[in-house]
Amino acid sequence: MGTETVSKPMSDGSARRGRAALAWALYLMPLPVLAAALFVGPSSQVRAGHVWQWLWSAAAGAGLSPDVNEFLVRSVTLNIRLPRALLTFLVGGALGASGAAMQSVFRNPLVSPYILGLSAAAAFGAALALATGWLPVQLAAFAFGLLAVGMSYFLARSGRSVSVVALVLSGIIVSGFFTALLTIVQFVADPFKLQTIVQWTMGNLHTANWDKVASSGPLILAGAAGMFLFRWRMNVLAMGDEETRAVGLNPEREKLNILVPATLAASAAVAAGGVIGLVGLVIPHMVRMMLGPDNSRSIPACFTFGGAFLLIVDTCSRAAASFEIPIGIFTTLIGSPFFIYLLKKSRIGWNL
Amino acid sequence: MSAAIEIRDLAFSYGRRAVLENISLDIPEKQFTVLLGKNGSGKSTLLRLAAGLLTPDAGRVSVLGQDIAAMSLAGRARLLGFLAQSHTSVFPFTVEDVVLTGRAAHVAFVPKAEDREKAERAIDAIGIGRLRGRAFTELSGGEQQLVMIARVLAQEPRVILLDEPTSSLDIFNQARLLKLVREFLDLGLTVLAVLHDPNMAFLYGDNFVFLKDRRVFLPSPGENPWDESVLERVYDARLQAIPHRGRALIVPKEQ
Repeated sequence: MGTETVSKPMSDGSARRGRAALAWALYLMPLPVLAAALFVGPSSQVRAGHVWQWLWSAAAGAGLSPDVNEFLVRSVTLNIRLPRALLTFLVGGALGASGAAMQSVFRNPLVSPYILGLSAAAAFGAALALATGWLPVQLAAFAFGLLAVGMSYFLARSGRSVSVVALVLSGIIVSGFFTALLTIVQFVADPFKLQTIVQWTMGNLHTANWDKVASSGPLILAGAAGMFLFRWRMNVLAMGDEETRAVGLNPEREKLNILVPATLAASAAVAAGGVIGLVGLVIPHMVRMMLGPDNSRSIPACFTFGGAFLLIVDTCSRAAASFEIPIGIFTTLIGSPFFIYLLKKSRIGWNL
Repeated sequence: MSAAIEIRDLAFSYGRRAVLENISLDIPEKQFTVLLGKNGSGKSTLLRLAAGLLTPDAGRVSVLGQDIAAMSLAGRARLLGFLAQSHTSVFPFTVEDVVLTGRAAHVAFVPKAEDREKAERAIDAIGIGRLRGRAFTELSGGEQQLVMIARVLAQEPRVILLDEPTSSLDIFNQARLLKLVREFLDLGLTVLAVLHDPNMAFLYGDNFVFLKDRRVFLPSPGENPWDESVLERVYDARLQAIPHRGRALIVPKEQ
């Protein structure tokens, strides 16, 4: 049997090796990006050089120069920059992977956590929590995000199947519904809380701390593990419901197996980072362009690349400005031209 | 000659519209049986019932002695391969990836080297090795159909059900595909196919089952399936049978 695989044409083999190398580059990309993020920030007392000196002294026992405030450098690096970098990475990874999972499950390159109404509902949940204090913000965002995906899914269900068009339409309806509720909350909230709500819905990570990492991280990682486990079954689902049934898998059950962890990760990401537009839609497309559509590779790559991408955007915005610009603005500014480019390029299969 | 598929007293309706009534059939093992009938006569429905993709209102189907209603989807898939009429993939999966999905009933979560080997062998058996790394979405309809046949082979079923496998193919690819089907019989497989072209059926098939008015249509004693008298009743059309290799080719009567 081994001889049969040898007979493949050379170009096929080298293209395959190229893709495998690219996949590993994407898997490992978060490491340098995470490390770099620790050196960047607006503080004039904690510049890259200061962090470097502190790390070097900790590793080699060398002395610190007098202009380095060791306590300040350590606490900024470990208690501000590190949790922020980790949280940003987890949020980007969750959005990227769940976007890819949802696109696979619904066989629709237009679907993302946002199409399913998740973001609007989570934003409403958070705004409600901020305005009333009835619930913790993250829990409210998470609960309403889950509710929205459930609503979109069950509204679109007719009989035993969920059609693509019906799902997109029900997602729009659910989004509109929760956006209206969000507007009501903003209208009645007092001005001070309104500012917090508006900032939150624009998506920002500057409030990151270890508590947020601890509360969202496990949920995101659990969701990512679920998607990772079912990643090859997404390939089976891609051929259609009847084809999936014919090879021995129940398509409706597999869809739920994938949607539940995807929703868990995306809701937890929105709960931690606010509404960060277009990452869940654009990352899967970029990864598929680089690695091809095989989900065995693209699901882990969407997680690592999505995380690294958001972390790069966040680090650049921190390096460029001395004040916080909500990251959702950047991702939308970068994402929308890319989205238009995707629309113009027919190869990703818009003609359903 | 034992039956690979036994269908007993089968009835099925879509909502209130009865599609099939009182169907009983034995599909012989290791032969190529063709289902024929007019459009809308329930051929594809019967095939889906045999595959367990639809649930009958009454009656039962057993495959190689096992009642399919009592089997799990994966258990069925190890026994029965099913090829649908047309295939849509939104994302440009490679031919290898598509064929590999045929292994789903044998795979826990992620395919092993053994599954990849079996997919490779299925690709070679169909003779589409040169398409291996190509995107499925960029192939012609005929090539896609061959890829899906390879996927069914990779599944390693004992019985293969084909729903109008030649409907979108040119005559060269129709012949190529049906010749492949004949080779499957030598591997010990049983094939049941819906074909819309009686000529292709009579050129390549072993047995012929006609559906008409929701039931199995049986020729009178002494009649051959390729006789004008039979086909004119089945298709409600004026037809002429031209003798060919002991059977016949069917053409519409002039006008």
